[in-house]
Amino acid sequence: MNLKRITLLVLLGSIVVVPVAQAQVKHIEMRVEGMT
Amino acid sequence: VKQHLGRQSGVQNVEVSLLDGKVDVTPKEDGQIDPVQLLKATYDSGVTAAEMNMTARGKIVKDASGRLALQVEPNRSFAFTPNELSKGLEPLADTQTMVTVHGQLYKKPEGKKKRDLGVPLTLLILEVQKKE
Repeated sequence: MNLKRITLLVLLGSIVVVPVAQAQVKHIEMRVEGMT
Repeated sequence: VKQHLGRQSGVQNVEVSLLDGKVDVTPKEDGQIDPVQLLKATYDSGVTAAEMNMTARGKIVKDASGRLALQVEPNRSFAFTPNELSKGLEPLADTQTMVTVHGQLYKKPEGKKKRDLGVPLTLLILEVQKKE
């Protein structure tokens, strides 16, 4: 029973942690000229 | 500009401020966005990019020529323009430490209409936001 709970917790934890741990471009900001 | 940039792959949202000429690009969750393509799309839309800043998270690696770089995808990394902040990240090269940095990727050279976009962009770190 305990093993099931621990497995479930590990699974849920990895679902939450993996996207946060990804490398990625988070934001890009540009200054442009000649825009009307 | 908004339409041109919004069509680029990896772009989630584009906000344009006409008053101060600022364009904010939010990448999709997968983060697979190509800043060079964004610059090209900006020129294609008929305006000139004066500056591009980026916030990105990744690992510090040394590229083939021994320069420090931020790897944001397995096949995409941005070499650093050397400064004090990039020197401070040298001990983290080729480790598992994830670093979030904010920096300048492009600035239009003085007096020139635009920079040659064939030259790879380098990242001048302005701020190291997180090491984990």
